[in-house]
Amino acid sequence: METDEALQLIAAAADARQLQELRVRYLGKKGELTQLLKGLGKLAPDERRAEGARINQIKTRLEDAMDVRKNDLQRQELDARLAAERVDLTLPGDSFSVGGEHLLTRVTNRLLDVFTSLGYEVVTGPELETDWYNFESLNFPPDHPARDAQDTFWTTDGRLLRTHTSPMQSRYLEANEPPFKIVVPGKTFRNEAVDATHEAQFHQLEALVVGERITMADLKGAIQEMATALLGKGTKTRLQPAFFPFVEPGAEFAIWWTHPRTGREEWLELGGCGMVHPNVFKAAGLEGVTGFAFGFGIERLALIPYGVTDIRYLSQGDLRVLEQFRGKL
Amino acid sequence: MNVPYSWLGEFFAEPLPPVDEVADLLTGIGLATEDILDYPGAAPGTVAVRLDEVSHIEGTDQLSSARAWDGSRHFTVITAAPNVRDGIVTAFAPPGTRLESQGITIGTREMAGVRSEGMLLSPRELGVYDHAGGLIELPGDVEPGADLAGLWPPDRVIELELTANRSDAFSIRGVARDLAAKLDRRLIEPTGVQVIEPEGTSAGGLSVHNHDEAGAPLFSLRRISGVTPAPSPVWLQRRLGSIGQRPRNNIVDVTNLVMFELGQPTHAYDMRALPAGELHVRRAGPGESFTTLADDSLELDPADLVLSGGGDAIGLAGVIGGMHDSVVEDTSEVALEVAHFDPHTVRATARRHGLHTDAHLRFERGTDPALPYYASARAAALIAELAGGSVHPQLAASGSPGGGSTVAFAPSRVEFLTTLQVEADTQQKYLEALGCKVERRGEDDWLVSTPSWRVDLNICEDLVEEVARLHGYEHIGTSVPHMHFTPPLTDPTHRRLRARLAGAGFQELISYVFTGEAELSRTKAPPSVVQLAEPQGVERAVLRTALYPGLLAAAALNRARDSLALFELGSVFLEQEGERLVMLTRGPWVGSGWRGKAEPGSVFVLKGQLERLARSMGSELEFRNEEHPPLHPGVSAGVYSGGVRIGFIGQIHPEIASSFELPDTWVAELDLPLPEGTVGFKEPVRQPHSQRDIALVTPQDVSFASLDDLLRPAAGEHLVRLEPFDVYRDGRLGAGNQSIALRFTFRDSERALRDEEVSAAMSNVIRVAKHAGYDVRDG
Repeated sequence: METDEALQLIAAAADARQLQELRVRYLGKKGELTQLLKGLGKLAPDERRAEGARINQIKTRLEDAMDVRKNDLQRQELDARLAAERVDLTLPGDSFSVGGEHLLTRVTNRLLDVFTSLGYEVVTGPELETDWYNFESLNFPPDHPARDAQDTFWTTDGRLLRTHTSPMQSRYLEANEPPFKIVVPGKTFRNEAVDATHEAQFHQLEALVVGERITMADLKGAIQEMATALLGKGTKTRLQPAFFPFVEPGAEFAIWWTHPRTGREEWLELGGCGMVHPNVFKAAGLEGVTGFAFGFGIERLALIPYGVTDIRYLSQGDLRVLEQFRGKL
Repeated sequence: MNVPYSWLGEFFAEPLPPVDEVADLLTGIGLATEDILDYPGAAPGTVAVRLDEVSHIEGTDQLSSARAWDGSRHFTVITAAPNVRDGIVTAFAPPGTRLESQGITIGTREMAGVRSEGMLLSPRELGVYDHAGGLIELPGDVEPGADLAGLWPPDRVIELELTANRSDAFSIRGVARDLAAKLDRRLIEPTGVQVIEPEGTSAGGLSVHNHDEAGAPLFSLRRISGVTPAPSPVWLQRRLGSIGQRPRNNIVDVTNLVMFELGQPTHAYDMRALPAGELHVRRAGPGESFTTLADDSLELDPADLVLSGGGDAIGLAGVIGGMHDSVVEDTSEVALEVAHFDPHTVRATARRHGLHTDAHLRFERGTDPALPYYASARAAALIAELAGGSVHPQLAASGSPGGGSTVAFAPSRVEFLTTLQVEADTQQKYLEALGCKVERRGEDDWLVSTPSWRVDLNICEDLVEEVARLHGYEHIGTSVPHMHFTPPLTDPTHRRLRARLAGAGFQELISYVFTGEAELSRTKAPPSVVQLAEPQGVERAVLRTALYPGLLAAAALNRARDSLALFELGSVFLEQEGERLVMLTRGPWVGSGWRGKAEPGSVFVLKGQLERLARSMGSELEFRNEEHPPLHPGVSAGVYSGGVRIGFIGQIHPEIASSFELPDTWVAELDLPLPEGTVGFKEPVRQPHSQRDIALVTPQDVSFASLDDLLRPAAGEHLVRLEPFDVYRDGRLGAGNQSIALRFTFRDSERALRDEEVSAAMSNVIRVAKHAGYDVRDG
């Protein structure tokens, strides 16, 4: 056989199949080189050794050449496959629905993060309440003008939709021994005319801290901590005297902030607060403790930063609106 | 309540700080300033004129011409005002005058062929108060030609939002009193007020018959004879105009002025309404009715407190006067009523009849029970001064002035509650500045007598607030309470669930808890259990009994979308209030695009999402084919956990879907909290598993769950999974039949199973299946 011709044929094999045919032709059981090796027995021992060495050398050269060719072919094949599999990744991906939490959920969660990190327990309560928990236990006497500020949705069976999250103050005080720190998020309801800034259904967050001697400074501290956590170090807060039947002394609190839309620095009136009124403790059968409470509406904190023009968007379920509130709060 | 800056200033000897500072000071002591309004006063350039030679212009409906005198010349003016008449003094805007309130500049014009130079003005045009039904009427002593802007200057008006407890501040004097305490200044009281005590229930031909001292603890009448109703002086009209009141005449205006000045409503009756000189205070009789001065006829309730001259009711006590008792043009004698009414009675009456008056607002919050005699003297003196006449020297009255209480006060409580360190002497000074009297019984044991006007001061903490607000809340520091309290790590707002759903591609919504009975019925939700007494319309009259109607409405709103995935967490109101989760999907889960047509949506996508959710919480749900009213009867299942039904899943009934113009829509609604598994560790199994497949031909109403129930026990203890991998219906299977291919996976955690063991288990499966009547095709 012609070694050079064999090497040429191997180098020119077009694909794995041709290469395999050559392997059979030269190295197979009946291959040309195998025949030569079989013929060695007929030779004299000296010749046999020399001829054997020569044939083995040829065999090694052919095998090496076949490996080289095989690698080449594999690479070519891979290159071809890779080229064939090329796609345009600028085309859009499959379209999955994105999903997301409601803006009010996100704002509430942020507030809950602040309070849980300050050691508050999160509790929730019923939306359908009794006069006792919503008003009377909170020192709103029957038929008192203070009730007028809380336009109430009464039910035909004499219950009501809670006008604030404060009923949980009484419920928690009844069932738990001080000291404690709780925060109560939830839906609240007022029967007032609905417009761009007023909803009949909205959300509040309430905090109640009771212990042996809780002070107004603790109250101011808690509000300050919340403001700092929400708006950063150096945020100013303010308490001003106000009246809510279930606190005495009572106050309104505000946070000094830069309005995210107008860029103006101003007081943002957030909500009411004060020292728990002795009558509230009395209604729950507690004495010898003091406490503070504060509460505020969540919608304002949700609407103003995003510049949402109409509070009704939040309950309308229009995805064009709701899907906007993603990303960093 | 509106507080004109200049009026407030009358109560102080020295000028007040600038109005913005006063507003801040008031806010700082709890009288919250809403806004500072500009009261414009009379438009610059306007002058007073006296009219005569008034005559109707022939051929016109309402136009009159008049000769005006401005102190230097006569000229002709045209007006359509109904109250134009000889001798009245009114306001005139010469050509070129700018009327900001109207946004116009006056010119010369010709009307009905008569040239009119300038314009006679209504109060609204002049800019002084809101009335446009006639010319403003100035008192006769205003000189023609007088510069009205100088006579009736602008003012700044502090708008306060008073809290319900501060009835004492529902007057200019009340606000001034609080401000004086804060500024540590003395209050200047009105002059010429001579308070007299009554000597009996009759005086000057008037007699008080109080049949209900609980409703009217104090009731007084005073006679003023020989009065002449006329336009009030400019200062009084300006006072009323600046707080949004419309001046009427010098008698009614005085009663109004006194109400706003002192916080005590008063009423002046024309004596002709009290022919017997008697005024009775009593509850309404059965079937009694009453016509208000606004000409509204009311059916009275026996709990209503009314006033009468002996016959029918002529007034609703503390709320509103009657049609025929007021002062009119030719009134010459009046009876001045000043009373203290029970707040609850007044409030109940006002609410019952839907009335809202300045008087009722003050009475229902609690007026100063010791104020009536003072207010009566103040009003009587002003009426006599402005309307002439003589005030009878005696007062007819029943009852006695009350008010004020004693409160045990511990000054140490101020620091205990607020941390403010205020010296005892300073605390006493604050309390006295507010009208309290302090008796120091011991170092920390004071007896404080509160003034009659502070009905809100009843307990020690009330006085702590008084000290703290005068000292200034801004001096309270900040601290953090130290307490042994470790909050339990609960998740009552279902934060993790919301995050999982959002992460799975569902958008959260928040709907109203109120809905309409018709909406519940249309969506085949349970009928309402809780109804609102005074709803905002029928479509918001009841509380929801299910969440899915809210999501259907949202799905309809967003129907332009190819697909939707929504969820909501909220309460439903059945016999009990309970929290639920609702999920809704519609359309393909993966949207179609350039890669080809999307898989159409399916209830099994929603079910798969629900199963994924349950597994992510370490729990398993069971599903049983059951019909539910809102669902397609053939695509409806109950969702169970541990054998307890916790909700449903399925396709919205096509009738409901079409009423929302929606295509196939799938919902699942489940009670919260969803079941959660507990974590336990098991060594991973390293043994191989064996799989065997069979296909069963069964009637179509045989559920997979029932096959699972049947065959799982038959497969024995080594079965780890039984799952369907192909379900189809085909005529060749026989009418009403289906083929369901099942894959059985066997494994032992300790050792490799022998082939014979698996075959034996499968033989048993096949035997049981055949015994149940199913055709088995061995895989």
